[in-house]
Amino acid sequence: MTTSIGIDVGSGVIKTALFRVENDQSEWLARWDARIRQRDSFKLVEESVEYVLEKAGLKRSEIDYIATTGEGESIKDSTGHFYTMTTHARGALYLNPEARAVLDVGALNGRAIAIDGRGKVLNYRMTSQCASGSGQFLENIARYLGIAQDEIGGLSVQSTNPEKVSSICAVLAETDVINMVSRSIPPSDILRGIHESMADRLIKLLKSIDVTGGVVMMTGGLALDIGLVKAIQDGMDKQKMVTKVATHPDSLFAGAIGAALWGAFRHDKLQSLGQLRKAS
Amino acid sequence: MSTKTVKDIVANCQEIFEDLDFRRAREWKAAVPGRKVIGYMPVYVPREIVHAAGMLPLGILGGGADMEVIHGDAYYQSYICRIPRSTIELAITGKLDFVDGMMFPSICDVIRNLSGIWQLLFKDKYVRYFDAPQNFKDEVGGVFYANELRELKEGLEQLGGRKITDADINNSIDLYNENRRWVNRVYDFRSDYPWKAPSAEVYLLMRAGMVLPVEEHTRLMQEYLAAADAESRPVKDNCRVVLTGAFCEQPPLNLIKSLEMAGCYIVDDDFMMVNRWLQRDVPATGDPIDNLVKAFLHHSAETPAKYEDDINVKGAYLLNTIAKRGADGVIFAAPSFCDPALLDQPMLISRVEARKIPYITMQYAENSGQMQPIREQAGTFADSIKLWGAA
Repeated sequence: MTTSIGIDVGSGVIKTALFRVENDQSEWLARWDARIRQRDSFKLVEESVEYVLEKAGLKRSEIDYIATTGEGESIKDSTGHFYTMTTHARGALYLNPEARAVLDVGALNGRAIAIDGRGKVLNYRMTSQCASGSGQFLENIARYLGIAQDEIGGLSVQSTNPEKVSSICAVLAETDVINMVSRSIPPSDILRGIHESMADRLIKLLKSIDVTGGVVMMTGGLALDIGLVKAIQDGMDKQKMVTKVATHPDSLFAGAIGAALWGAFRHDKLQSLGQLRKAS
Repeated sequence: MSTKTVKDIVANCQEIFEDLDFRRAREWKAAVPGRKVIGYMPVYVPREIVHAAGMLPLGILGGGADMEVIHGDAYYQSYICRIPRSTIELAITGKLDFVDGMMFPSICDVIRNLSGIWQLLFKDKYVRYFDAPQNFKDEVGGVFYANELRELKEGLEQLGGRKITDADINNSIDLYNENRRWVNRVYDFRSDYPWKAPSAEVYLLMRAGMVLPVEEHTRLMQEYLAAADAESRPVKDNCRVVLTGAFCEQPPLNLIKSLEMAGCYIVDDDFMMVNRWLQRDVPATGDPIDNLVKAFLHHSAETPAKYEDDINVKGAYLLNTIAKRGADGVIFAAPSFCDPALLDQPMLISRVEARKIPYITMQYAENSGQMQPIREQAGTFADSIKLWGAA
């Protein structure tokens, strides 16, 4: 039996998951997430670890591997670090065993990842440095429109006449939106236009790594945005891609889940190699 | 032994590394009237002879990540690496005005041409194109190299105004043997306990040796090893890599840090090969020129700047290093436009591929600023080794 913690330090939210793994069976014992909001990430991580340990009724000494991912390389008490693509691939597979590709859309960028049935990354591509494919961009738009973030998806799916928005540049897109507001375009049409613009970029990423079929699992903060998920599925259908987009209520935790599961895997591998010192 | 902490020692090394005015070398020179400083570029020069002349050998490895190159760009085409431009910039902006002479080893055409530019720009300085042989037979390359060393010795005698005796050189050989032994101990320690001796620290420690007198650098390494051994640091589940290709223009310090943060412990490298070029102690008795020649011909490291005529031997140094250090993979990191590194790379890759040793390639310049792609590449490389490899 191996017990591991996965900590995903995102640019907007920190997610922590505690797992127990035995004979390929994994049990998710505890979870924690919080928006960073200009607080000290290291303190939040410490808080999260204390929380999941207490929730699972475990002591720190009972944890076999603490794995970080995302921006968590500098966390001192971790056993090892896995890169974002690696952990989201594994997390997506945990949440949906049919997944053969992942769209990880977080606060700062989006990634398309092709995976196999073991969660191995076969190929990946990221959005460029422009923010117009990211959650931060959507947050800004929500602020301009005076709506709460959790209203975005619900409004978007009500759209009847989406307004086209620049998909090239966040600055241009934000200018577009300000003009739309002054032209009294309904928020639902503006949001759907933005979702279509983001979906267009994300579908291009998937195609660039030859994902044209199978289940694409959404992970990251925007996996819970039903408007974006629908826009991506509609965009794929329009392009006659035989791809099904899936999401999960726990998609936000995909990185932390993947980190915890890979951590447990790594612990067992080192143990079998007699090299546990590497992870002490 | 001193009780200095790792933090103190590394801070001292970092200060030396960042100081493009070379304050420590200037102070050494100013301490005794008549002292002289001789700059040298990568990959190898016999520092023993410079030291025997009573002079300070000063390693010049370009202007680093933060120096703005304005004048230097006028001397080289855009498809030439950055180290000659930033080195000229250092000189033209007066940062090397205290340096009495410069040695340019025969590493590549660019550095050879830099020696010519130096002669034109700084007519009052001692300038030597240090032409090391690419033939390693005693009766051919050995004779040539012995003459080269004698010419160097005579040149430094003229510059210094005094004879350099065999005893002087043997004494210096002794000191550099000692220095190399400690360099190797630091490398061994890092390989055994990579979490106790992060590569960025080891790098700064070795960079300090480019500026400090050899005796002082040896003491610094002794202090570092004692302090690093005593300090408790967390072990990370990283993969172990050998980094190769960075023997001339140096990567920015952030690149080295990024590789380790991304999950790759660097357990060997070819930074500043001058301090490990000779693989064995050089005899410190007898004819010192003859001893330095034999060490160069028969016991020197393999780098792309050195011709290897036996295709079966090519790459053996890298393969031996991988085996000796128990490395899981190789990072081929070459400066952009570095002919020796990039021309050698396919041959070395064919050797590691044949043995199914994982590797990645990357290019950098000394002022590369974007570390995200490096982290991404190194991070996924580390993950693939840890999860899907034998490690």
